[in-house]
Amino acid sequence: MKKSPNKKIGYTVFILAMLLFPALANPKWLAIGSTFLIFSVVGLSEDIILGKGGMFNMGHALFFGIGAYTAAIANHTFGIPILYAIPLAILIPALCGIILAGPIIHLRGDYLLVATIGFNIVFLQLVENDIFGITGGPNGIFGLDTPTFLGFDLASPTAIYYLGVAVLLLTFYVMANLDKSKAGRALHYLRLDDLAANSIGINTRGYKIFAFGLGAGIAGLAGVLLAIQYSAVSPEAFNFMQSVLFFSIVLVGGSSLPGILMGTFVMFVLPEIFRDFATWRYFIFGFAMILAMILRPEGIFPARFGKIPDYFKKG
Amino acid sequence: MNKMVRVITAFLLFFALSGASAMASDTIKIGVQAPTTGQYANEGQGIDQGVRLIAEQINAKGGILGKQIEIFTCDDEGTAMKAAICAKDLVNKGVIGVIGSYTSTCAEAAQATYYRAGVLQTTDGTSDTLTEHGYWTFFRNSFPNSAEATYTANYFINVKKYKRIAIVTDFSSYSTGLGSSVEAEIKKLGGNIVYQGKIKAGAQNYTPVLTKIKSKHPDVIYFSGYYNEAGLLRSQQMQLGVTADFYGSNACDNPDYIKLAGKFAEGSYLINVPSPELLPYDLAINFLKDYRAKYKMDPPSIWTLLNIDGMRAFLYAIEQTGTTDTKKLAEYLHTIKDYPGITGPIQWAPDGNRTGSAHQTYEYQADGSKKIIYPVVK
Amino acid sequence: MDIFFQQLVNGLTIGSIFALVALGYTMVYGIMKLINFAHGDLVAMSAFVGLSVYDQFLGGTTNSLVAVLTIFAATGVIIAMAGIILERVAYRPLRNAPRLSAVVSALGASLVIQNGIMLIWGPRMRFFPADILPATTWNIGGVYISFIQVVILVVSLLIMAGLIFFIDKTRVGAAIRATSIDHDASRLMGIDVNRIITLIFVIGTFLGAVGGLFIGLYYRGINFNMGWNYGLYAFVAAIIGGIGNIPGAMVGGMLLGIFKAFIAGYVSSTWADAFTFTLLIAILVVRPTGIMGERVAEKV
Repeated sequence: MKKSPNKKIGYTVFILAMLLFPALANPKWLAIGSTFLIFSVVGLSEDIILGKGGMFNMGHALFFGIGAYTAAIANHTFGIPILYAIPLAILIPALCGIILAGPIIHLRGDYLLVATIGFNIVFLQLVENDIFGITGGPNGIFGLDTPTFLGFDLASPTAIYYLGVAVLLLTFYVMANLDKSKAGRALHYLRLDDLAANSIGINTRGYKIFAFGLGAGIAGLAGVLLAIQYSAVSPEAFNFMQSVLFFSIVLVGGSSLPGILMGTFVMFVLPEIFRDFATWRYFIFGFAMILAMILRPEGIFPARFGKIPDYFKKG
Repeated sequence: MNKMVRVITAFLLFFALSGASAMASDTIKIGVQAPTTGQYANEGQGIDQGVRLIAEQINAKGGILGKQIEIFTCDDEGTAMKAAICAKDLVNKGVIGVIGSYTSTCAEAAQATYYRAGVLQTTDGTSDTLTEHGYWTFFRNSFPNSAEATYTANYFINVKKYKRIAIVTDFSSYSTGLGSSVEAEIKKLGGNIVYQGKIKAGAQNYTPVLTKIKSKHPDVIYFSGYYNEAGLLRSQQMQLGVTADFYGSNACDNPDYIKLAGKFAEGSYLINVPSPELLPYDLAINFLKDYRAKYKMDPPSIWTLLNIDGMRAFLYAIEQTGTTDTKKLAEYLHTIKDYPGITGPIQWAPDGNRTGSAHQTYEYQADGSKKIIYPVVK
Repeated sequence: MDIFFQQLVNGLTIGSIFALVALGYTMVYGIMKLINFAHGDLVAMSAFVGLSVYDQFLGGTTNSLVAVLTIFAATGVIIAMAGIILERVAYRPLRNAPRLSAVVSALGASLVIQNGIMLIWGPRMRFFPADILPATTWNIGGVYISFIQVVILVVSLLIMAGLIFFIDKTRVGAAIRATSIDHDASRLMGIDVNRIITLIFVIGTFLGAVGGLFIGLYYRGINFNMGWNYGLYAFVAAIIGGIGNIPGAMVGGMLLGIFKAFIAGYVSSTWADAFTFTLLIAILVVRPTGIMGERVAEKV
């Protein structure tokens, strides 16, 4: 991606602000900040499927949840330190993404949407019913071991926050590379026109499944962070409403890096800020969602495909 | 092109604003963690209103130790993740004690945070796991599921001599936890369970499960769950012509149960500690009177009163010890014997369980009132 | 055998409600290619409106056909107006926007309506009186059918038959069918597309209101957040039947109701949702546009 100087400054200031944030924040806002980072990563992974691939995935909490549960079960049932479970917590959701997407990937638009909702609901019932006796039922799994790394206590709120920053930067890196790669271009074309992309020889099915696998893997990684932050996993953190949240993050923010961050901020942090409005908060929030879409139908920061130089575009 | 800069400014502004808090003050800060919105909004608002009523009354009399009580409410929406954030929020606001939450799951999700911060917590959550961590900060103001399960199984097998028992739960942690405890206790006593199934809270249509139960010809249907589902189960059971006795567990104790079950509430049973209007204590009668005067309605259920009792005990301890040091307060709370509560005498076991179960079986009468049928009042 | 027929009756009752609500989804989708996620919340709202109408104007009236008809008429009008406002505020400004923007707008509208209900009527469950309709129950060879169940079944079938007649046989119906195929071509033929869309919202929300009132009359307890549950299943029913397909939504609703009853009755209540949604996905894998096929013009 060709970066304009302003953009470079923007990213630098943003990263600096992220790094300095713990010095300013009190514990509550540090916790919200960490969750913000985690949800941003999930938002970015949903963006690969929904924003870049154009596939209506409204079950993304499923992969987030599989990652979190994989880490929690590895730790709680098998006594594996939670950090060593990370590769597994990326691999298993990615595999699930590929296996589950396989049979439904040919579904068009809204049918895909309902199929992914279906997967999410089935997953929730599996964990709520304590399948194989390892998911902890409706309560979830509480009291996971707090991880240490090189003698450093990772359970401290600040450590979790910086872990979140690291994972977010890593995700940025993956996303930037994806934009430049063959797969990124293929996703772009097949989103614009599936049929045309297919007819010029792009393996649309293969790339769609790839997008699901990649998105699911990254969401799984974010799930591990969530499990570490709360030392717990709980079914309702991965329910259908949560999927709706991730879906809305991508659409409200727009399919771009700043877009996803803004989307996460608007959809997750704002309601926390306005907590004092209590019963009125979601009422007003709903209007805000409608208004946001009317004013910015493509999201606050819409996608701009990186290969087109600025001077070829209008405005 | 400096959109990133704008995003960052927005971030910094919001966080800077929110960061400015936590100033020293000379009030006694009490937190309320309750689901004031969402599925259990009714119960959550009851707890919040009750706590504020007590604080208001005490403040009007000059407060405690010469200090006013300040209440901070955090809405956990009945979900574990929000509860975890609430816990951090309340700790951050400098509360010394937290009342709530309503559900066991939310109480458990917040428990470790209060423990680490040395903040006292009192909840009506009945899940047995709450007291298994050994946190000195934790005080249960209700009675645990295991106590209710033992009572229920004994009553079914030894008193009523039921031969064919059907157990229904929903998917919540309270419901499945209590349901499986009751099941285990019944099996221990050699009881015969003919059906066991789950219903989805909020689904409203439970005729398929009830029809299945009908085919098993049970003599009793036991539902461990919440009042909304209990009322619908009872009314649909009778409409389907299933004649078995119907028992609801403690969370079915809510006036809404009778409204939902309608005329079919008559003759159904409830197992719980005494409900607000049946409490014989003057404290309870006065509290209900004040609550009605202030809020023009009844407290939603006994759970409000149990939480209030937890709060009253905390305040009593502060008054008696003359300190707000939570470690000392906890030590004192473990020593109190028969402190008069709205819901009966209060005392705590070392693990934070309220001791002295007071479970009773009630039968609903035609006018919607409840009659104690066991233990038999002499 | 009586158990089998009892489950069939159970399934058909809830299935009729699913079908009525599903029609709202499917009709809006057919015309606008939009999943109206706020539809379920309008259904919930109609139950509250109906209750208020009863409390305000008919308090204490029992077993009265006039009372019931008044509730249905008044609620239908109010909710249809709410539907028109919903379309004007949340969807019309987005008609030329990307399809997913309207979905987010719909989700926002759903939050507004749901929390609006809570702010107006409170978070507590509210109750329909038990005696608006006779509480008669018939026992036919061990199968119990209540009066309200018969009402739900018969009224739903009549409404659906009327709807099919309206869409297939009248001039306005033809205009609706034309609009669902191509907005621009219809406009060229002199059809006022905006008016058709308004009409669709009126019919769709009215059907939803009937479903919402049945929920209130049958289950009696109504909650501000119950819309999502009915909305989700009705939406699934619309998808099973083939979205945009009106008879499909009816068949889908009935099938879903019966299927859910048989799963809970013969397989496992614990796994009811898992089975239901696995079946849904299986149907979609085999028939990617629902059992009856969709009736949506796809622009290539």
